[in-house]
Amino acid sequence: MISIDLWVKEGYLSTPDGNSIYFWGFSEGEAAPAQLPGPRIICKQGEEVTVNLTNTLPEPVSLCFPGQTGVTVNGQPVQPQYVNGKLVSFTNHALIGETITYTFTAEYAGTFLYESGTNPHKQVLMGLYGGIVIHPADYDANMDKTAYGSDTDTAYDREYLLIVGEIDPDFHNAVKQGKPYSIKNYKPRYWTINGRCAPDTMLKNDIDYLPHQPYGSMIMCQPDEKVLIRYINAGVGSHPLHPHGNHTRVIALDGRLLRNGEFDRSYQRFTVSVNPGQTYDQIFQWKGLNYSSQNPIPTTIPNLRNMGIGDAGWTLWSGSPYLGEKADIPQSIQSLNEFGEYYFMLHSHSEPQLTNWGEFPGGLMTMIAIYSSLNENVGVL
Amino acid sequence: MGVIKKRFGATDGWIQMPDGSNHYIFGFCEITGVPENQIFEFRGKATLLAPLLEVYEGDEVVLTLTNLGFPDRPDLDDTHTIHWHGFPDQIPFWDGVPEASISVPVGRDFEYFYKPLDPGTYIYHCHFEPVEHIQMGMVGPLIVRPSLEKNPAYSNKKFAFNNVATEYQREAILFLTELDARPHSLVANVQEFEWTEYKPQYWLINGRSYPDTVKAHDDPQLPLQPFSAKIQANEGEKVLLRIVNLGFENHNIQITGNHFYVIGQDAKEIRGRNGEDLSYQSDTIFVAPGQTVDAILTASRKGKYVLYNRSHYKNTVAGVSTGGMITEFDVI
Repeated sequence: MISIDLWVKEGYLSTPDGNSIYFWGFSEGEAAPAQLPGPRIICKQGEEVTVNLTNTLPEPVSLCFPGQTGVTVNGQPVQPQYVNGKLVSFTNHALIGETITYTFTAEYAGTFLYESGTNPHKQVLMGLYGGIVIHPADYDANMDKTAYGSDTDTAYDREYLLIVGEIDPDFHNAVKQGKPYSIKNYKPRYWTINGRCAPDTMLKNDIDYLPHQPYGSMIMCQPDEKVLIRYINAGVGSHPLHPHGNHTRVIALDGRLLRNGEFDRSYQRFTVSVNPGQTYDQIFQWKGLNYSSQNPIPTTIPNLRNMGIGDAGWTLWSGSPYLGEKADIPQSIQSLNEFGEYYFMLHSHSEPQLTNWGEFPGGLMTMIAIYSSLNENVGVL
Repeated sequence: MGVIKKRFGATDGWIQMPDGSNHYIFGFCEITGVPENQIFEFRGKATLLAPLLEVYEGDEVVLTLTNLGFPDRPDLDDTHTIHWHGFPDQIPFWDGVPEASISVPVGRDFEYFYKPLDPGTYIYHCHFEPVEHIQMGMVGPLIVRPSLEKNPAYSNKKFAFNNVATEYQREAILFLTELDARPHSLVANVQEFEWTEYKPQYWLINGRSYPDTVKAHDDPQLPLQPFSAKIQANEGEKVLLRIVNLGFENHNIQITGNHFYVIGQDAKEIRGRNGEDLSYQSDTIFVAPGQTVDAILTASRKGKYVLYNRSHYKNTVAGVSTGGMITEFDVI
């Protein structure tokens, strides 16, 4: 059984264009800062999960666990909450300053969301959401890993969780100042993966100047490896997510394996439209074309001084067409490439979402980095 | 399998909507085989859509991109790329993402190499500041034909995939985009658009708004919009619709008097892990930005049919008259 203390608090998000946005988030325990998304709940199928929710906000807060059944609160089945006959929470809520305990058994393996069930049109949009990853009952981190169990053809080598969302700063400001705001005017100016806007999405976890946004979204792997990418859409808009480099094989929707008995319904796509509240599990694999300096590419490599490199002020390119090799990049350009790894963009194809308040590059974009050699501890949830 | 050498120029141009409005675009034009001292005659001749790139599975494609500059924005020295959207196992060098490799400055060339291994409907587009360069029109259709068509047993037959069940007699590209006149006008006038304000007024099939969609490929009023969207077939014939969404909005396509049989998506047959047949009948095709759908129409009784967007406000020219994302299907 696992147990987690989630505190509901306020905090400030940083965006790469210098904005600071008031938000509501979950923290893991009293001392930690609120974060976006909330702390990941990672458990195993069949395990009992206990969440102690402490509310420090000036209004009630509750937790919904879409996809979970048999949820109890303080030992009783959860129920919608009404005040004077009006629905205020989808499930039992913690009043101001109160702590309540939710419990459920992780019945299915898969990827799920948890989010506020109280004024969700306000609280979820303010940041009260997080991800749940349930590994299958036979999961062993040190053995052959699968997303849905050993006989489901869902083996993977590394896994990543990408939770996408939107931010309308006017809405956040109105909540901060206690001013009226009509949610029908909601108009996102920022789009996030794991609470960050690009290019911050590509930074590592736990960057000291992003205390409220602890999760990076850079996907890292080696050629031929099977990478389990778990998408969650915690926002209210559709996000057509497109990885460069290869199709993904979609293996599950909303934490349910795409399989009817022997009939394997998993399918390959180059763009997956992730709609509000949905989760998609998919396996990405990049095999490459086996080019190297011994097996050179069939086109000429131009003089790089004549080419466009690093227009955004930086480049992730190594200067070489070959994996694991670095070559000279013109000196005025900052290359962030480490070991000659390859980078493939993963982004929303609704392209205005690739901006921070209109400025490209930004928003709902990260990279898939293919390293010729990578520590096996990378890409573990 | 052959070696295909193509050369595209990146430049600007102007397109027209049925209400008489003109819109500044960026785009590509084909300059394959044009002598070096004549390529600058193609400046200002970008088309929407960009030229059709049509290849066979197993071909080796060398595509040279030449940045011809923008005659109507001589101050703007943006670089360009070609990103083959959906190409498997590409290397970043030819993937066309400026943040991860090379882009092409004004007056320069770059060679992209592809060896397509999977048949289907793809897209290519510029990936430099993609929100701007895609909306401005640097988008084109890309078809990879299956090697099955080269099997002597099936000479003169056409297939969507390497599967005889995907045979068709006619095909039509339905390339869906939107046009917000404001960024086009601002870019033409050396100003910036705030992209989160994107709200299109024109909805296009193959770069045209109805009734232009049903005009001929070579309509003299539409010199830089060379793709008709009119669909024609004889009764009983199968028409493969290659539906592409490279706009920024979701689209839902319907047709009168016929059913869609959806056989492919994102350049893959609709099949499960072990070849399970997941193809399906549908009367509405949902296609998200960056997706492609292959659907077969079996031409029902003779007559005229209308294909349209079920979000009916998109079936207008700037919200005023009937037009936009509509075309016609003539069964003869």
